[in-house]
Amino acid sequence: MASVSLSKAEKSFIQTSLQATPPLRADGRALLDYRTVLLETGVASQANGSAKLNVGKAPLEGGGGTEVLAATKLEVEDVENGDGLDGGRIVCAVTCSPSAYPHLSSNALDEVQYDLTMILHQTISHQTLHPKNLGILPKKKSWLLNLDVVVFADAGNVLDAIFMAARAALWDTKVPRTRAIQYQAKKAGSGTGSGDMDVDSGNEPGHGLSGFDTRDMARTAADFELPDYWDEGEVLDGRDRWPVCVTLNVLPSHHYLDATTPEEASTPLKLHLAFSFPTDQPCHLQALRLLGPGELQLPQLKTLIADGEKYAKELFTALESKLRDEDLRRNVKARDKFASR
Amino acid sequence: MVLDDEDFAEGTQKLTCPGEPITSSHAFMRGHGTYVDNEEVIASVAGTIERVNKLISVRAIRARYSPEVGDLVVGRITEVQPRRWKVDANSRQDAVLMLSSVNLPGGVQRRKLESDELQMRTFFEEGDLLVAEVQAFFADGVMSLHTRSLRYGKLRNGQLITVPPALIRRLKSHFITLPCGVDLILGLNGYIWVSKHLKQNEQEGEDAFDAEAVYSNRNDDIDDATRAAISRVSNIIRILGAHFVPLTDTLLLDAYEWAVEQEGGVKDLLNSDIGDALVSAVAARS
Repeated sequence: MASVSLSKAEKSFIQTSLQATPPLRADGRALLDYRTVLLETGVASQANGSAKLNVGKAPLEGGGGTEVLAATKLEVEDVENGDGLDGGRIVCAVTCSPSAYPHLSSNALDEVQYDLTMILHQTISHQTLHPKNLGILPKKKSWLLNLDVVVFADAGNVLDAIFMAARAALWDTKVPRTRAIQYQAKKAGSGTGSGDMDVDSGNEPGHGLSGFDTRDMARTAADFELPDYWDEGEVLDGRDRWPVCVTLNVLPSHHYLDATTPEEASTPLKLHLAFSFPTDQPCHLQALRLLGPGELQLPQLKTLIADGEKYAKELFTALESKLRDEDLRRNVKARDKFASR
Repeated sequence: MVLDDEDFAEGTQKLTCPGEPITSSHAFMRGHGTYVDNEEVIASVAGTIERVNKLISVRAIRARYSPEVGDLVVGRITEVQPRRWKVDANSRQDAVLMLSSVNLPGGVQRRKLESDELQMRTFFEEGDLLVAEVQAFFADGVMSLHTRSLRYGKLRNGQLITVPPALIRRLKSHFITLPCGVDLILGLNGYIWVSKHLKQNEQEGEDAFDAEAVYSNRNDDIDDATRAAISRVSNIIRILGAHFVPLTDTLLLDAYEWAVEQEGGVKDLLNSDIGDALVSAVAARS
C-alpha cells in the first residue's frame, strides 16, 4: 500500500534473497516469522474499549514499526426516527496520520484511508459477526458501535495490524447495562393531599406501582436508564468471533508473512485473508482480497487459503492468550495491587 | 548547571536538556540550539555544548544531518529535473546533483551534450541509491553533490540501513571491507550501504570508464553465504544504532566476530537479550 521509493537493484536484491535456498530476508527472519507484536488494551479512558498495537518496534527506541490505535465508542440511536437499526449496528473508520505516509498527498492519503475503511467495515460489520447485546429497547433504541482505528506509522503489513488492533479493541469493549423504564400516569384519587407535587408514593397502601417500576418489563417500555453509572457493563457479545487477518505475500514459488515496507514494494502479489474462529464451530473465511499485478492459478489459491487458515489460527491463539493476559493485568492484578497498598 | 570560562576550558563534553540554563548572557552569545531568557543562555535541544570564543551553541543528538563540504553521503534520487537530480540525503532539504558533476560514459573529460540532458533517467532515475561527496552549498543552504570519482556512483548488490547521523564519525575511509566478503559504505548522513564485496580491479574496471557497469541496475550473482553475511552485518548495525553506539570500522569488525562466535542464526540477533549482550561485549573489547 505504501509506495516507498526503492531502486531496481534493491528490489531485485530483495526478490532474489527471498527466492534463494534457504530463503533469507533483510533482517534474517524466516518466511513465516512475524516481527515482535506489542499490544496494550484499555489505553483510551474515554472509550468503551481500546487497544494499541505495534508490529516490529525497534528495541530501545521510541519509534519504528507499524503503530495502530483502535478504540470503540458506544452511542445511543433512535430506531424509529433516527438512523438506528433494530439490534444495533457497527460503523468502522480507519484514519491514517499524515506522518505515517509522508510521501503521499492529502488526496492520496484519503484514498488509502477509504480503502482500509472499506475492508475493515465490510468485514467487521457483517451480520454473521453481529453481537447480540447491541439492542436496548426493541424497535425503539439501540447502540451504535463506532470502531475507529488510527494508523500512526506504517512499516509494512498495516492491514494485519489494523485487524489485530480492531479485534483487541472489540474484545475489550464493555456495553453498559440498561434497564427499560416506563412512565405511568398516577391513578386518580391517590395522593390527593400532595397537590401537584410528585412524591414517592410507593409505600402507600392501595397504590400499585411507582412511576419507575421496571419489574414488569413491558414491551411498551418508553425509555431506559443505566442502573449503575459507575459500572462498566458487560462484555460485548461474540468476543471469540472477531476475525484476524493474515497477509500472504505471494512470490512465484512460495509465500511469506509480515512483510516490511521494502518487501511489500518488491512483491508482486498480496493475499489478505480474514478468518474468524468461533468456539465449537469450524472457522469461517470472512474476507479475501487479492492485490497486485502478479498472477495466480485457482488451485494455488486453494492451497494458499488452506495455509492462511493455519497461520491465522496461530495468530488467533497468540492474540487470544495475550488478550486474556491483558484482562488479568488490568483487572485482577490491578485490584490486588490496590488492595495491598 | 551554569558554566563560566573555566568549565569550557576543560574540553569535556557536557550534555544539556531542553530548557536547561547554560550560562549568563552577559558573558556569552547565544548560538544555534539556545535561546536567551532572564539574562541566561538556555538550551533549546538535548545535545552537547559547543563553544567558539564567546559563542555558545548546542549540537542536538537527534537531528537531521547537517552537511559539510567533503562529506561522503549515501542518498536516494527523489526527482529528475532539468540538468539536475534531487537527492534525499536525510538533510533538512533535498540535495542537488548536477548533471555536470557526474561522470558520463565515454571518458571523464567529455563535454555534456543536449542528448545527455534528454536521457538523464538512463543514469539515475527516481528511487536509485548513490554514494556521493558534498561539493558545495547553494545560497539557500542546499548541498550540491558530485560523483566525479570511480568510487562514487550508483549502488548495487546490497541493502540500505539507516542510523542516526550523529553515530557516524568522520573516519579515514568510509569505504570499509569486512573479511566476510561484505563492503560497507558509511554515509555521514546516517545512511549505510551494506553490499557484496567487489574486488579492486572489478571496481575500477580498465582505464576506460565502464558506463555499463557504473549505471547498471542489475545485481551481480550473490551467493547465499554472502547474503547471510549482509543480513547479519545489517542486523548488527541496527542493534548498535538502537543502542546509540557510534560506529567505527574496528567496532563493526569486533561485533561481527562476536556474532559469528555465538554461532546463532541471523535472526537471533533480533532478540533483545542477544542485542544487549552484543553491545556489552563490544564495549568491553574496545
